[in-house]
Amino acid sequence: MVSAIVIIAAALAAEFLLGLFSERWRVAAYAVTLFALGFMTFIAAEWVWAFAVYAAQPVEIFTAGVQPPFAINLRMGLPEAALTLLINLTGLFSALYLKRAFLEKGRAAMAVLLVFVMAQNGIVLTRDIFNLFVFFELSVIATGGLMLLSDDERAVAAGFKYLIVSQVISAFLLIGIIFSYHATGVLNIDLMRPDHFAALQAGSIAFFLMFIAVVAELKPFPANGWALDIYESAHPAFAGLFSAASAAATLYAVAKLLVIGGPSWLPIATGIGVVTFIAANLLALPQRNDRRLLGYSSIAQIGLILAVIGQRDILGDSYLFVAGGLLAAHAAAKAGLYWLSGLIASRDIAGWSALRGHPVLIFAFISFVALLTGLPPFPGFYAKWELAVALAGNGRYLLLAAILIGALIEAGYLFRWFGYTIKRDKPVEEISCYPLAVTAIVAALAAGWIFAYLWGDLSGHGNILHAVPLLFALSFLLLDWLPAWVKNTIAIVGMVGYFILNYADYDPLRLIFAVIILIGGPLILLASYDAHGRRVGFYPSAMLMYAGLTQLIGATDFFSFFVAWELLTVGSYLLILRGKHSEPHALSYIIFSLGGAFLILTGFAIASSVSPLPMSDALKALTGETAGWVFLLLAIGFMTKTAAIGLHIWLPGAHAEAETDVSPMVSGILLKAGLYGLMVLMLAMGKQSLYGIELTHAMLYIGALSALLGNLMAIFEEDAKRLLAYSSIGQMGYALFGLALMNHLGWVMAFMFVINHYIYKSMLFLSAGGVAKRTGTRLMYKMGGLITLMPLSFIAVLIGIIAVSGVPPLSGFGGRWIFYNAILSAEHRLPMVITFFSGPIAFLYLFRLIHTVFLGQLKDENRRIKEAPFWIILPQMLYVGLLMAFAIVPGLALRRVDAYLGQFFPEGGLNWEGITITSQFGYWSPVSIMIIVCVIFGSLFAWLLFINRRAQKVKQFNIVFAAERPYRPETTHFAWNFFAPYRKALGFLVQPFVTRFWDTVADILHTAGDLGRRLYTGNPQTYALHFLAFVVIVYLFWTGG
Amino acid sequence: MAQIAMAAGFILILVGFYGALTNRNILRMIVAFTVADTGVNIVMVAVGYMRGRTAPILDETVPVADALSRIIDPVPQALVLTAIVIGMGITALMLAFAYRFYEKKRTLDITKCTELKW
Repeated sequence: MVSAIVIIAAALAAEFLLGLFSERWRVAAYAVTLFALGFMTFIAAEWVWAFAVYAAQPVEIFTAGVQPPFAINLRMGLPEAALTLLINLTGLFSALYLKRAFLEKGRAAMAVLLVFVMAQNGIVLTRDIFNLFVFFELSVIATGGLMLLSDDERAVAAGFKYLIVSQVISAFLLIGIIFSYHATGVLNIDLMRPDHFAALQAGSIAFFLMFIAVVAELKPFPANGWALDIYESAHPAFAGLFSAASAAATLYAVAKLLVIGGPSWLPIATGIGVVTFIAANLLALPQRNDRRLLGYSSIAQIGLILAVIGQRDILGDSYLFVAGGLLAAHAAAKAGLYWLSGLIASRDIAGWSALRGHPVLIFAFISFVALLTGLPPFPGFYAKWELAVALAGNGRYLLLAAILIGALIEAGYLFRWFGYTIKRDKPVEEISCYPLAVTAIVAALAAGWIFAYLWGDLSGHGNILHAVPLLFALSFLLLDWLPAWVKNTIAIVGMVGYFILNYADYDPLRLIFAVIILIGGPLILLASYDAHGRRVGFYPSAMLMYAGLTQLIGATDFFSFFVAWELLTVGSYLLILRGKHSEPHALSYIIFSLGGAFLILTGFAIASSVSPLPMSDALKALTGETAGWVFLLLAIGFMTKTAAIGLHIWLPGAHAEAETDVSPMVSGILLKAGLYGLMVLMLAMGKQSLYGIELTHAMLYIGALSALLGNLMAIFEEDAKRLLAYSSIGQMGYALFGLALMNHLGWVMAFMFVINHYIYKSMLFLSAGGVAKRTGTRLMYKMGGLITLMPLSFIAVLIGIIAVSGVPPLSGFGGRWIFYNAILSAEHRLPMVITFFSGPIAFLYLFRLIHTVFLGQLKDENRRIKEAPFWIILPQMLYVGLLMAFAIVPGLALRRVDAYLGQFFPEGGLNWEGITITSQFGYWSPVSIMIIVCVIFGSLFAWLLFINRRAQKVKQFNIVFAAERPYRPETTHFAWNFFAPYRKALGFLVQPFVTRFWDTVADILHTAGDLGRRLYTGNPQTYALHFLAFVVIVYLFWTGG
Repeated sequence: MAQIAMAAGFILILVGFYGALTNRNILRMIVAFTVADTGVNIVMVAVGYMRGRTAPILDETVPVADALSRIIDPVPQALVLTAIVIGMGITALMLAFAYRFYEKKRTLDITKCTELKW
């Protein structure tokens, strides 16, 4: 084992050695620098290994050979080893990245980098407060020097600002140190104790001064203007190092200080941290400059970690796991993102679209975003979970809410940025693929994934990266070079295979969902055979979504359920983002989904802090007001996925703009995740009430309103896919309504909708997609008369709308029949009536799909189009068969569900005798209905054919008979604004109130951020005043609280 | 004596800060900071001072045996020495930055460096 002090000695030796070199021996100097950094990394790695594998004991290093307080001592323990490894590795890769700048600027620059890295190591290792001050000052001086590496002219000013503010900070630190020494008689951290400070009146002020000065190095809001300027103008390699390494070191210094300060200082650290987290994220919202944005985000992340350090009292031993997880994620992501920014010429965040065409870099980018937003499987996710459980368990709900709001804002701007990268026009300048820079980025990426694995192993919940479905999805990243059809086949085989291996383990409820996901998914994937080329990025995203869904229905505890929930959210986001114009819609989808996920997280955290049982048992065990709150949080969380009214605005765009084969996946399958969550929740918890309001009753209204308004919005749509999307809101409303009835038939109806909605919505989206593909538009009034050209699509749509509208003989009627039975026994009349009336409204929009698209006159420009491609038609025809089968023998699926539901709702079950289904109010015989309808339809059709012999064929240009004139502007087309009279009557109901509400919320946040960031005037004297104001405010809080 | 020194030190710190935060000329700011630094150093020495004791130098006049009761605490003085060295380093760096800044902008007005903001 090499002693830890050699890390500092090696850096010093290399610095002095560089001083002996001639200015011309630049390559040699560079080699020395790299060697020194490599050696320092090696020492730290060796210690990490010793602590992790051999469980070595922490080692004290006495610098002068005597014990403290007579000499400075250093300590090497597991946290120190991990942090120094992080710092030295980042330093090493920064040095690689900086090769060009170093060879140009010479040995002095290299020496300064070594000083910087050494100083950070020193801050971590030392146990002496004055020594801490010395290393801080070294860090300041080195930062000033490294700022001059930047090509940006403004870096000089930024460095100077930093020096000015740090002068003020260091005065505070020095005075604090000398008075602390006066109060305690020592400078050694381990020998100082809280009671020493308390003994003297000035003692606690002394500690305050020290503490505030070190905290100021963490760039707390509002004393952080200087840091933003550094982040923006520094060389990206250094900005990455500054963000990752110096944050790590300073946070550890604060943690050390807090040990001497005692527990009374913890709330102050948390307060500073959480205010910084929210403020920095808010101010980042209107930011367009990539590096400044990253600066804001760095400040926010560090604030979050500071807040976590302040929660040490409740986190106990897991505080290192949580804070460390956040720090590791932050370091890998920020270093990686800053390094990425060095490849890109444009400083506008939209300029990152230059990354397109470089899949590895795009993958790195999304991995970094996921690291920062705490998505699984990265360490931030484990940290988020542990933190939420601890906070909820100790009743610190306000803090939890604040952290989650901040995290949501951060996710908002990071995902917006990712959306720009994927969707905005690619700039003319290519990125500079400087090999050493790419090496550094790939190293950061690898580090992120290694951290993910490590934290998974350390967590008590099992490693997310060991889940088979997720691994299957991730394996597509490695297969992405294969042609699309090969990957498609692998995907289908994999999913069906997984189902065959596992189907026996599912209970009937889960089995239904499993069939939809693992058999229904591959069925839709048949349409993906239509895609040509490699379709880079499609399969990892799609499989990630399916993996999440699969894990969701397999999950039995809160943690794995939440993991699955986040995985499917990310996967579906990436999938939706692939649509041509889907950038804003994908963004609103991910924001709503993450917002919902945070509510679920809070609910789960509360529930699991009450009871350690598996999920449904723990939910059952909840009582009183807690139960009501948990139910509310979870229900709203799940309803964001089912797009209940009020939370629906993401759905139309997201489903309509998605690719042809993606729309059925996200509509037919993904929406069911929300229903599944609601079912699990309601089966476990039953009826709950809060403040006298029965929550299931409220859900009845939400379901009924979703059904009504979803359908109403659909009838005024001109875009076929948007129409279908709105219709999904209505359909999900029915299902929600059924569940909220909380009786046997209501639930059977919900299941009926789960199955039916999957089949007909997948089918209709495929048909609409196929038609749109051929006609080049999704606007229905631009189509017409396609029945002869696309007969198979016509059949699919016809069958589909018969099924959706709930007229006999197809399965939609079954749904309706159960619905009527269900509401007959329900108590609540108004929502029932609302739901009842949404049925006919659905018919209005469905009618348009047939009438406007397939009937009427063929447009001239559509004269030559062909039937939709084979692979898009094939699944539709399979769905037609399925619908027919499900219409004739609904019992196949429903009978088992009915029996299963009997355990939970013993009364009011259905009676399945032979081919007839009997309820307490009547009976339904699907086969006889089918026969009767076929006979009636057959006779009418024959009669029609018979009288049609005498009909006169009307040519399109015969305007007397055609009922429309060709070549007219769309607005006079009869199919445009088809339901204008209804719009006059009911249009007030579909005014975009909800959209306006959420737009206003976003607007307020942006305006607040824009006003807030004007605080940072750019003048260093103002920045110094900010610091003084910060000190005063914290002092007032400290003395007041 | 110690009280006077300490008061003087704090006054110097305040004067220095006031000067640094109100002067727009960079060189004046740097001078003001050195004044504040001096104030900090005086405060440190004042804190470490003990009435009636001698300098912590062990020679014939102060034998090792009774050093503990006759010398003042050497640690604050060591700290001051270190702080002075570091302060000088920072001042030098600030002057270098001021020079660079002047070369680029042909001015020493601190309010002219606000291209980076918001």
